[in-house]
Amino acid sequence: MAEFFINGAPVAAEKNQKLLRFLRDELHLTSVKDGCSEGACGACTVLIDGEPIRACTPDTDSLAGRRVLTVEGLSEEEKALYTYAYAEAGAVQCGFCIPGMVLCTKALLDKNPDPTEQQIKYALRNNYCRCTGYVKIIAAVKLAAKLKKTGEIPAPSHTDWKLGSSVHRLDVAEKVQGYGKYPDDWYLPGMTYGSAVRAKYARARVLKIDASRALALDGVLAVLTADDIPGENRIGHIKHDQYTLIPVGGLTHYLGDAIALVVAKDQQTLEKAKKLVDVEYEILPAVHNPTEAAADGAPCVFDEEGTNVQAVRRVSRGDADGAIAKAKYVISRHFETPWTEHAFLEPECAVSYLDNDGDVMLLTTDQSAHTTLHECTLLLGTKKIKVENQLVGGGFGGKEDMSVQHHAALITYVTGLPVKVKLSRAESLLIHPKRHPFWMDFTMGCDEDGRILGVKAKVVSDTGAFASLGGPVLERACTHAAGPYAYENFSIEGTAYYTNNPPAGAFRGFGVTQTCFAVESLLNEMADKVGISPWEIRYRNAIRPGQVLPNGQIVGPETGLVETLEAVKADYDAAVAAGKPVGIACAMKNAGVGVGLPDYGRCRLIVQSDGKVHIYAGASCIGQGVGTVLVQMVVTNTGLSREDIVYERSNTWIAPDSGDTSGSRQTLVTGEACRRACEKLNEALQQKPLAALCGQEFYGEYLARTDPLGSKKENPVSHVAYGYATQMCVLDKKTGKLEKIVAAHDVGKAVNPISCEGQIEGGVVMSMGYALREQYPIDETCRPIDKFGKLGLIRAHEIPEIKAIVVDKPGLDVACGAIGIGEITSIPTAPAIADAYYRLDGERRSSLPLVNTPYERRR
Amino acid sequence: MAVKKRFPYRAALVACSGGCRATAACEYGCVACGICAGACRFGAIEINALGVAEVDEDKCIACGVCVRECPRGVIHIHDCANPVVVKCSNHDPGKNARKYCSVSCIGCGLCAKACPTGAIEVQNNLAVIDESACLSCGQCAVKCPRGALRDLRGILTAKNA
Repeated sequence: MAEFFINGAPVAAEKNQKLLRFLRDELHLTSVKDGCSEGACGACTVLIDGEPIRACTPDTDSLAGRRVLTVEGLSEEEKALYTYAYAEAGAVQCGFCIPGMVLCTKALLDKNPDPTEQQIKYALRNNYCRCTGYVKIIAAVKLAAKLKKTGEIPAPSHTDWKLGSSVHRLDVAEKVQGYGKYPDDWYLPGMTYGSAVRAKYARARVLKIDASRALALDGVLAVLTADDIPGENRIGHIKHDQYTLIPVGGLTHYLGDAIALVVAKDQQTLEKAKKLVDVEYEILPAVHNPTEAAADGAPCVFDEEGTNVQAVRRVSRGDADGAIAKAKYVISRHFETPWTEHAFLEPECAVSYLDNDGDVMLLTTDQSAHTTLHECTLLLGTKKIKVENQLVGGGFGGKEDMSVQHHAALITYVTGLPVKVKLSRAESLLIHPKRHPFWMDFTMGCDEDGRILGVKAKVVSDTGAFASLGGPVLERACTHAAGPYAYENFSIEGTAYYTNNPPAGAFRGFGVTQTCFAVESLLNEMADKVGISPWEIRYRNAIRPGQVLPNGQIVGPETGLVETLEAVKADYDAAVAAGKPVGIACAMKNAGVGVGLPDYGRCRLIVQSDGKVHIYAGASCIGQGVGTVLVQMVVTNTGLSREDIVYERSNTWIAPDSGDTSGSRQTLVTGEACRRACEKLNEALQQKPLAALCGQEFYGEYLARTDPLGSKKENPVSHVAYGYATQMCVLDKKTGKLEKIVAAHDVGKAVNPISCEGQIEGGVVMSMGYALREQYPIDETCRPIDKFGKLGLIRAHEIPEIKAIVVDKPGLDVACGAIGIGEITSIPTAPAIADAYYRLDGERRSSLPLVNTPYERRR
Repeated sequence: MAVKKRFPYRAALVACSGGCRATAACEYGCVACGICAGACRFGAIEINALGVAEVDEDKCIACGVCVRECPRGVIHIHDCANPVVVKCSNHDPGKNARKYCSVSCIGCGLCAKACPTGAIEVQNNLAVIDESACLSCGQCAVKCPRGALRDLRGILTAKNA
């Protein structure tokens, strides 16, 4: 037992435990986030006697007499100060790292009221952020230092909530002060804890499951197996090949496959009980990579499939072979890109209970409440399910699939108990789908002026243990492999293979991060062959409004690739003139699902009894800020003021299905649906004032209509819009480190420019990791080796200067011209950095992470 | 701060807690000879109550004179931003080290296992932290059964043995 102080009040911790568990489970101080419980992430940072310490490290017994501070214990003045500074700087996205960052800010400023930029970076460097790239958090600390001295909090610099205004995001206070709830922050009366016993072998047949020893343990409430599933065991986004629980007689597909679900009264009993579930296996040889998967006589990953080929995609237009044969310059190269872990700060968690209607109510952190509803409906065979998004601590594609939601739903459905199912960080690293590793062979032919005549490619990806979005990712990798250039001859064939590795699925960039590295690296080499600059070769080939992309689509007047090239020109020329190593790359990325699939945005505006318009859209905010976007849409399109509008988190019973937060689509697709709802509201407002419309609803729906892949049309519309970007990287010749990244992005209409910048900086830093250091090694048993802290994520003191340029270019006739920016920010970074290193040392690097750089991690 | 220093601050670290109380039973540890203290031009080193040299990081400018002068080689320069350090220089196998010191590293590797970033390696029976990879979380220090790893802030562990 130890007595100490928390937020000024004396407390006694009876049982010796980690401070984190005491703060969260006993005192419910849930601003202290549990991101890994192993000392790595920094989300649980508190101040102990003024020093930032991770609460997962010390035992309570070691804290006698200490003074512990969480953000709940900040003074009202400090709360207001940090909320303002973080909002004004645009420092908050998913928010999961923010309370820890705020406490690091306080610890620094209390000792050093006038810190330098480098001192700020060092104060933050032990805490990871995966959304912001740290740039705006550093800006927030600077601003907080300034305001602390003046002692006054000014008005926000932008107060007009119209499109184009950098207003404070609407979710800053709840995230800075830590009262906003992520699923793990719920502690319901009588809540139990559930967790899955995972496969011991990546490929084995389950012969017997014996739960008797576990059930005999005091505090164990149930052990569920596949026999308890009332509906379909196999679920999935598109292809239903993800087993909820592996049945007796079934094959395991990877080490993350769940065999049995244990439900217990507390977390300690749960962990003990999981070890007491006895499973007998017949161990079988595993498939480790696409080469093994494709070999004759290879073992099949799935009993149900006769092959390990998960998907094949071909995109072809014109005559690539003929064009390359006639080309003056031809280059062929092989490229490889690695697995990448999303490393969102919040591990997967779902809370489930029976509500007053007798429905299974799920509180989730995912990329679409409606997708969770669909998959759980399939699993349980009932529609008596409701899903509500809580705050989502980052997703980046990694929270599109079911990870814990379906297990929580099943437990509540079968037992009637309220339950929390949470992945440990190690489970999270193993279980959710990753970025696909790709093996790519590209050939490009150009004429003597550097005009691309044709590109031909063959790519292979490892989609791991179930399809997830392996097919669409492969498709997007192929459709975008041509790059944002105007030429006619293009052909690519892609194959995705099942293996017994962890699954691969959606990841910011969705396959394009991989093929862009290949095609942009080739173009850089081609520029050298032709004897023009890498900037010039892009300018000559860049797609311009009215021209035809290699996929046949005629691009619209909003197409702004050339403007992004022009935006970086001055920086590019200056760096070249100064003799610095400079690399450059361009990219395009669709906004919206496209290729003929039904892609609906839906939004319901309801005037409620408080006399305000409530925005309901089944569109998850995973940190990007769709709530703020929609409020700005309503203000712009109705003339109502911010105070008249309330944004409601996505749910499945009032908010209409507006698709997944995926494919950079919410700003455009849900934005347009919202605009359409506003048109109807406007008509009503012409008759009556807002207060008199109480109880009325205004519904907007938008189908982003496109043509399917392989359409017979001469010029099919594959996507309703594309974002375009140019990024360049400058190296410091002396240190070999990154000095500066300039990232210019065409977004059509920037709804909230500072949020756009935040997306750019975050995407750039995420892909600095992809380019320079991040790995996800998998061993012979198909187990990922590394812990969260070893993934190689970029830290605050490692970021270079990042100049984010937001290019507005009107022309798109939906969503007030706004094009999503979520994914493209990460796409051209790696090839730009790779080219800069070639300019530094003459070594062309064709695989990631790049070798022989100062960022390389000794292993 | 007494002297002008360039950020990020570095300072000398005496990698010994004086578990043998400077009796020289340990051939690797500090013996309180005082050469470092005498050599330091900034008055940044003194022999502390436990009988070993201790650096005042506020005064130290990491000039390295003490590192060169120490006859036992127990001093090295480290980043002040990393307060979690190995306070031991012993290379004897654990079973020997235990005989003459209660706070020596025994090379058991529990710290390396606890480290979330893979920053710790046991080299020749002694834990070594790669400060460029360290997140100063202190998981190693709270796991160390010997108190060989220390939090210089005096929070996760006492500063000294």
